[in-house]
This record gives sequence, C-alpha cells and structure tokens, in this order.
Amino acid sequence: MLAALIGGFVIIVLGVVDQSIAFSAIDWNVIFFLIGMMLTISVMRETGMFMYIAIKTAKIAKGSPLKIMVMMFIATAVISAILGSVTTVMILVPIVLLIAEELKITPAPFIITMVIAANMGGAATMIGDPPNILIASATKYTFIDFFLNLTPAIVIIVIGSLGLIWLLYRGKMYVSNERRAKIMEYNDKNLITHPKLLWITLTVVGLMLLAFIFQKPLHLENATIAMAAGLILVFIGSRKKVETIILNDIDWVTIFFFIGLFMIVEGLVHTGFIDLLANGVMSITNGEPKTTSMVILWLSGILSAWIDNIPFVAAMIPMIKSIGLHMQSAVQVQPLWWALSLGSCLGGNGTLVGASANIVAVGIANRNGYKISFMDYTKIGILFALESMLLSSVYIWFRY
Amino acid sequence: MLLASFLEAHNILFENRVLTKEQVYKKLVDRLCSQYKLPVSGSKLLELILHREEEVSSAYPTGIAIPHIRMDGFNDTLIAMAFLGNPLDYNGIKVNWVVLILTDKTSSKTYLNIVAALLKLSKDKEAMKALASAGDGHSVIHYLKKNEVEVKKDVIIADIMVQNPIAVLPQNSLRELINLMSTHKVAGMPVVDETGKYVGEVNVLNLLEVGIPNYVMMLDNLSFLSSYEPLENLFSQQDLLFVKDIMTTDEIFVRPEASIIETVFLMVSHNKRYLSVVKEGKLVGLITAMDILRKVIAV
Repeated sequence: MLAALIGGFVIIVLGVVDQSIAFSAIDWNVIFFLIGMMLTISVMRETGMFMYIAIKTAKIAKGSPLKIMVMMFIATAVISAILGSVTTVMILVPIVLLIAEELKITPAPFIITMVIAANMGGAATMIGDPPNILIASATKYTFIDFFLNLTPAIVIIVIGSLGLIWLLYRGKMYVSNERRAKIMEYNDKNLITHPKLLWITLTVVGLMLLAFIFQKPLHLENATIAMAAGLILVFIGSRKKVETIILNDIDWVTIFFFIGLFMIVEGLVHTGFIDLLANGVMSITNGEPKTTSMVILWLSGILSAWIDNIPFVAAMIPMIKSIGLHMQSAVQVQPLWWALSLGSCLGGNGTLVGASANIVAVGIANRNGYKISFMDYTKIGILFALESMLLSSVYIWFRY
Repeated sequence: MLLASFLEAHNILFENRVLTKEQVYKKLVDRLCSQYKLPVSGSKLLELILHREEEVSSAYPTGIAIPHIRMDGFNDTLIAMAFLGNPLDYNGIKVNWVVLILTDKTSSKTYLNIVAALLKLSKDKEAMKALASAGDGHSVIHYLKKNEVEVKKDVIIADIMVQNPIAVLPQNSLRELINLMSTHKVAGMPVVDETGKYVGEVNVLNLLEVGIPNYVMMLDNLSFLSSYEPLENLFSQQDLLFVKDIMTTDEIFVRPEASIIETVFLMVSHNKRYLSVVKEGKLVGLITAMDILRKVIAV
C-alpha cells in the first residue's frame, strides 16, 4: 500500500505529471464501489450467513472428506463471486481448519483447493475480484456483460476443476465414523443470530443485484449502486456502531493502494511507456483479434502467477485501450478484455505468491502450525492454473 | 496536617464495660450533641448510623470500626472515638476502637485522608497499645502530637493496596498457576522473578486461551460447537507450558505513590480490573478496582 502511495506522489514530485492530472486519474467509481461493497459485506458477515453456509455444507457432505472438499469448492466459488476472493478465504479458511482438526486430517489440501476456488469464483462476476471492477470502470461493460461472458467460462472451469480434484484426491483421505459424527452434531440453528437482520440484508443485496442487472436503463454507475446498498445496510440493518464499521470493516489499506495505483498508472501513460507496450503486442499479432486475445490471456496468466494482478490489470487497461484504437470495430476489442480478466484472475492460482487470497490463506494456516510451503502450494496450484488457462483458451477461441 | 488537630479530648472515651454496638454509638453521639449544634437531633443521628451499619459494615480487619455520616449543609468534620476494653463483634471482626466521623455531604477528601491515617494507625501494634492504655483524651492527643501522626493531603495507592500479594514465577508450570488461582480464588496475578522484580501479569483468560487455536479466534461465531477437543485437552498442556509462555508483559502498573485518580485512569483506559504496584522495578503490592470501590467510593 505504502509503495503505491509513495509511487503516486513521487511521480508528481518528479514532475512526470501535474498533481491535478494525477488526482483526476483516481477512479472514484472504483474507490466508492469498493467502499460500498466493503460496507455491504460487513453487514452480510454480521448475519452469520456465510458461517451457516459453510457449516451446512460440511453437514450435507456427511463429514466425508472428499465430499466436503468438492462441496466447499463450489460453495467457495459462489461466495467469492459476490465477496471477492480475499474476504472469502478470510471467512472460510478458519472454518476449514476447524473441520480438518475435528476430522483429524491434514488441512493443507482443503485450504489449497479452497483458495483456487476463491480465485476462480472472483473472476466470474463484475463485483467479484478487483481486476473485474477495474475493467468494468474503464470500459462501459455492465454487470450483465460480465455475467454473460465470464460466468459461463468460470462454470466450465469449475466443473473441470472438480474433475481434477477427483483425480488428485480420490480415495486418499480417510476419516473414522466417530470423527464424522462430530461434524454431524454441529448445531447450525444458532448461527443465524438475528433472522430479521438476515432478511433485511438479503432483501437489500437482492435489490443491489437487480440494480446491477438493470444499471443501463436505470443510468446508475457501479459506485452509486454499491454505496446505496452499503449505506442502507449500515444504517438500518447493522447492530454495530457506524463509526466502528467505517474504522474496522472498510479496508483502508486497499483503498489507498488503489488511489496510489491510479496515480502511478497515469504517470506510465504520460511517459508513453504504455503505448510502447501496446505497439509491441500489435507488431507480434498484427492486430488479429483472436491471436491478440490469446497473447493477452497467456501473458496475463503467466505474469499474474508471479505478480499481484491488480497493478498488472491497472497497467494493462490503458494498453488494451490503445490496442483497441487500432482495431476495426469495438466488437473486436471485447475478447481482449475477457482474456485480460480470465488470465489475470486464473493465473494467480499458479504459484503461492500469485494472488492476495493465496498469501492470506496460507498465512492463516502457518499461524496455526500447518506449514504450507511455496512448493506445497505451487505443485497443486499450477495444475489448476494450467487446466483453467487451457479451458479459457478454448472458450475464447470458439466463442468470439 | 496532624490527626491530633481534628480531635478534642472531650470526644475521646475509654470504656471497659460490656456494651452493645448501639450503646457505644449512643455515647459517642451524645458527646458530640452536647457540644455542637448539629442539623439533626441525636436520636435521628443514631438511627442513621445504625441504618448505615446494616447496609455496610464499618469494621476493618485491623480491629477498628469507622461509622461515618454525611450531612447536608454541615460545613465541618467532627470526630468522636471510643477505646473499648471489651471488644465488639462485627461479624467475626473484634473491634476495640470505634471512631465516629461526621462530615459534609460534599467533602469526602478530608474524610478519606482521616480514614487512611486511622487505618495506618490501627495496623501499628505498638501505637495501638499506647493509645488503648492512654486512659484519657488529653493523653491520646498528646501521644498523636508527639508521634506526628499526620493526615495526608491525598490518599495514595500505598495506603489502600494489598501488600505482598500472591505472585507467580515465570518458570512455574500452568498446573501450579491453576492451583494458585483456584486456591486463592483470584482471576489474575503479577509475575515476578526470584528477586521480586516485576516482569508481567498473567490472568485466567491467558490460561484459557491456551485451549483455543488462533483460527478459532478468527471465526465470527462459535455457537454451532457444543464441545471442542483442544479446550478439553488444556489439562494435557499443564506441565508442558509455563507462565512465561502465556503471560502479558505490557508495562501497565502503578507506583505506590500514585494517586487514586491516576490509578482509576489507568484501570479504565486499559480496561484492567487490577494493577500491580511496582516500586523501583520490584512488586510491592496489588490494587484492585474493588479495593477502590470499597475503600474510597462506598465509604
């Protein structure tokens, strides 16, 4: 965060761009969307619904480890499509650790597959992971555009991943009946402490999704919708103090990271560095949309496995816009954006350092004495990253 | 200010007969009423004292009882005392010195300081012996003057703290800690090294936390669990873990000369119900919020 913020002001001090230009590059549509979603998520967490879903999932799986892994994979992907991957793993990894401890099985495979599912789910919607909201704000694509173009791809990839889980873990995990019985005894009734709060929250979140779906006819921007939902929930739903939520539940580190990032990227655009990159890509692919998409998909995937995908996407956005200017029609640019989203979100599964969710989840595991090394993660993650990149390639190649 | 300055020989009694509490109080009230014009009558005053005595005992373990009445619009502090040859029984505490104090409703500071001086005096066996055998009020005042028994301007923590509190060594096992806590019925205690140097504190929550892994602390809600093995297994760790593994070493303590307000400030701002009293790095006492409530507020 600090590096991004320092970088943002260094380019002003060095005179690369004027302060007014750097500030105007801060995308408030993204900033307030993030704040609005953080408020919404804070109240959603308060209802206990995510704990309920996780515990219910383990019970429905009847304590069978492979079933738990598969069902948690699906549940994690769905939750992450709404909350984003980092929040999802922060809520779910502790529960998985608890369940693994009760079942007396090693939690590492559960945590690793859960992180992979979270990164996949986050790529499925506009409101999931930050790269998508960056792309949404920079282009004019709506929630529905993301849903129609990315969600089918992620559904295919998740199904493929379940096959991979079956190949990797089938018959490898054994749990005694006595241990299973402990999971079955979990009392999920108490988890929804305030049913009224749950109904208010579900209604507001439902209205928020409707507003996203009809945002074009309604002429509502992302930030407006998210902030409206967040503020309504905080004021009428939450039992916590507003000040507490604003101080603790808004991730200010992330917010300032984005502010710094927008300023730095503006600096890179001004220096002509981005145009240089764009021309480089165009000379390789001759501007042919399918080939360009494939180059962007794999370039994003491979780079995102090693670097944070948020600054990467922030830098790629002006580049793809620049490439778009050379293309004959706007329709041809479309697959480039989806390739950028899929590549940058799914590539992050490749290594331990590829995405924030990976680092957060493994951090929680390590603090609890379950060491997951770079190689432990990467040798599983790379398989899923390759599988999803291949399926993405097939999807983009045949769809566009 | 000398304690003697608050006293008058006329109001100091010596009594060797077997009397009841009520009789002793009546004698003291009569002495005061005969000399001063009080806002209430003697019988009303006696009633107030006995009523108050029913609510909260005025006796202290050192054998002194200090009944106290605050009166509206009474701009003075009056003291009457009785030394008893036959001690009174205050729920098991043998009291042979009863000191009645009348004050104004608003000024509690002087009163508190007088109480502190009296309590200090009542702990001093030699002084108590001399006073009990003084025989008359003049000799009592003379003795107090000669020994310069002072009413301090302000009560300090050293006056009301528990001296030589129970403490535990860093190398004590959790089993020993659990035993200490349950036998002495305390929820926390200071940690000191062999030389008595203060090194930290340990409380029952630090102990119970051993049974809860970090990831459980990250959950929003734990109501779905009815039993949990690591907590039940806490006892298996009793001999493997030591006080030093779980104690807190934040440097929040008070000096013996700290004021009440400073101590209350520290307790409230750090949400602590007791503080170690540390002098030159060594543990000398313990002050609990309940001590302050009982000895300062509820008097």
